[in-house]
Amino acid sequence: MRPMLLQIDHHSGQPIYRQVIDQIRRQVMAGRLREGEQLPSVRDLALQLRVNPMTISKAYSLLEMEGLLERRRGVGLFVAGLPKDKAGQTRTDMLEEALTKAVVTAVQLGIPEDKARDMLTRLYQKYDSGMRRQENE
Amino acid sequence: MSDNGTIIRMDKVSKAFCGTRALDEVDLAVRSGRITGVLGANGAGKSTLLRTIIGLYLPDSGRVETFGCLARDLGPKELGRIGYVHQEGELLNWMTVGQLIRYVAAYYPNWNGDLERKYVADFDVNEKARVGSLSPGERQKVAILIAIGFEPELLILDEPASALDPIARARFLDLLLELIQTENRTILISSHILSDVEKVIDHAIIMDRGRIVRDCSFDDLREEYARVRLTALHGPLPAQLPFAGVLTCQRNDAEALLTLQNQSPESIEETARAIDCKAEIQPLPLEDIYRLVVGEK
Repeated sequence: MRPMLLQIDHHSGQPIYRQVIDQIRRQVMAGRLREGEQLPSVRDLALQLRVNPMTISKAYSLLEMEGLLERRRGVGLFVAGLPKDKAGQTRTDMLEEALTKAVVTAVQLGIPEDKARDMLTRLYQKYDSGMRRQENE
Repeated sequence: MSDNGTIIRMDKVSKAFCGTRALDEVDLAVRSGRITGVLGANGAGKSTLLRTIIGLYLPDSGRVETFGCLARDLGPKELGRIGYVHQEGELLNWMTVGQLIRYVAAYYPNWNGDLERKYVADFDVNEKARVGSLSPGERQKVAILIAIGFEPELLILDEPASALDPIARARFLDLLLELIQTENRTILISSHILSDVEKVIDHAIIMDRGRIVRDCSFDDLREEYARVRLTALHGPLPAQLPFAGVLTCQRNDAEALLTLQNQSPESIEETARAIDCKAEIQPLPLEDIYRLVVGEK
């Protein structure tokens, strides 16, 4: 089991179980936590993050209900195999949330849609070109 | 232990001191394994509540049960499972700190010597000092040590960190975080310094003038309130802001700052979009939540 890299901000005001859920969801969706991989026990993660174990157990239960994690009786908790359409939907939802913020800011700053599109294309070239080069090889 | 893991139960408990109601018909149920923060201003009744649970105060009316036993009848068997840190740190003044630790440890067959040594080192406890000569902060450290040394199932901490300096307080919180990793350890911790407890508790009780005005999961309390900064996307902000659950509202013609209760982020964003506005949603600091809860009753 690899150590899980989670970071808790006690000053954000955001409940800790939500911070844990968001970070684990992102790791699963980005493939950094792979299907079938085991998660640390409630006790171990609570100890590592120095938080109340109830918080971790709440976060795990909600992720389980969401279908991202699955419990194997007597063994522990694992990253579930997500149906393709469900995984795709979750990814789209996450992006939409981020893009909504960006678009609202653009509208507020009076930046027209075509300019924003150009910017998006440029940003894709900047951050995604390495990946595409690898794919082409 | 009584039904479904409830280890403390209070029914309609009242207690008055010289005509002042310190507890006013208080009902309470505390389940095993829960870490509860008892929050409230000075004089709200926090200490009276905690002392009533362990039978140090007897109620004028109502019923208190701890570990399934009437609090007034708690014997060594039950008391041996309860650690208590007194707000004023009442200790035996004529002993040295080392003598006091040995004296208390002798009463408990399950005294944890490793925990004691770690604590003495981490908190710079001077075992040679006379208890009566300690500063309030040093007294508090000793009081905490003798309350946790036998690893009680129920730990009652009455303003445990109030006299500690910031560094000792941070170490104490770390220690608490270690203590709560043990399964089924129940802790009640009272504090008026909210930032002290918010890292460790999972349940909150808010007291005001002898009454419990809120008794709920700490996450639920956190998520009940939201601060929303509303800015118009095009033109001025509408005169009417059609939000539900508005507790406070400050505004000018371009933006508004709202405090909302019981509104989901989705519904807030939807309402904002309907009036052509952008909503930035932020959690409310615990101090503000506390003020709203106490103020609204």
